[in-house]
Amino acid sequence: MSWLPASGPGRDDFERVFALRPNLFEAWREFASLFFEKRLVDPVVLELCRLRIAQLHGARHPLSLRTPEARAAGLDEAKLAALDAWWRSPGFSELERSCLRFAEQFVTDASGLSDDEARPVVAALGDAGTVAFVEALAVFDGFGRFCRMLDVEPAGAGA
Amino acid sequence: MSRPRVKPPQQRGSDPISASALAHQPETLRAFLKLYGTLWSHGVLDQATKELARIRNARTVNCAICKSIRFEGARKEGLSEALVDEIRDGYETSALSPRQKAVLRFTDTFLSAEPEVDEAQRRELLAHFTPAELVELTAGLALFMGFSKIAVALGGMPESLPVTVQPTPDWPSAGD
Repeated sequence: MSWLPASGPGRDDFERVFALRPNLFEAWREFASLFFEKRLVDPVVLELCRLRIAQLHGARHPLSLRTPEARAAGLDEAKLAALDAWWRSPGFSELERSCLRFAEQFVTDASGLSDDEARPVVAALGDAGTVAFVEALAVFDGFGRFCRMLDVEPAGAGA
Repeated sequence: MSRPRVKPPQQRGSDPISASALAHQPETLRAFLKLYGTLWSHGVLDQATKELARIRNARTVNCAICKSIRFEGARKEGLSEALVDEIRDGYETSALSPRQKAVLRFTDTFLSAEPEVDEAQRRELLAHFTPAELVELTAGLALFMGFSKIAVALGGMPESLPVTVQPTPDWPSAGD
């Protein structure tokens, strides 16, 4: 459970923490849900980046979740088992590799992102897709840190 | 100026966010502006505190656009340029209040490679802020950092810009 000495209603610790600011949580949900629901970027690519960022942060709540859109698109646990060393696994496509490389650099030092790292992503996703991709990365990075800072428990860890 | 990786579209808005490459995704842009307006103008935490965290983040991520902006509401609440000058490395020995220093320490922890709050920092934060205020501050940091990084990652960033005071983001129908 989060170290905050108060909580609101919710199905898991993340919801109970964020529910302390209800109108903000509602607006966040509206924004954050667009990327998968509207398929602004391939859901498998997005889910791989979401979970890789959660791994980098050691953020237990996002690591405990699976996005139905990515499942439906064929992403399984066998592939996710290789995610923490994706660069050594042949099971990731060129686009997935380019996006994972971009995502890792975004998290560790966005200003260190090189043109060589950005070019294949922009070429594959186009301008609108790249914008959606970096916005999604911002959500994954920012709210992965949110979970670590407030010590948000994984989903299913009790009420 | 760095080379833009994604140029803004021809159809775009007039404020710095709507005029950027984010306009390529009108639906996410609208949802973000609602979220950002809710954070700034329909929150429980004072605007000067959020502005402290935003500017500290801008300097750490090195987003020239974010560094140049000052929001009107925080100015009205007393966050003068003299106080903003104190939001630098070495702020621990500055004239900032213990509450303001706690915000800057929290921001630095958030932006670090190990974003984890230890017991002493938890006690300090809870002495200055309510749980709802802390949720708002942490969510704000997530947005400040995320969108600074977007601006940096998409390129086209000038070396520096003059300081400009801008209207505080708002989304009038957001409710409090």
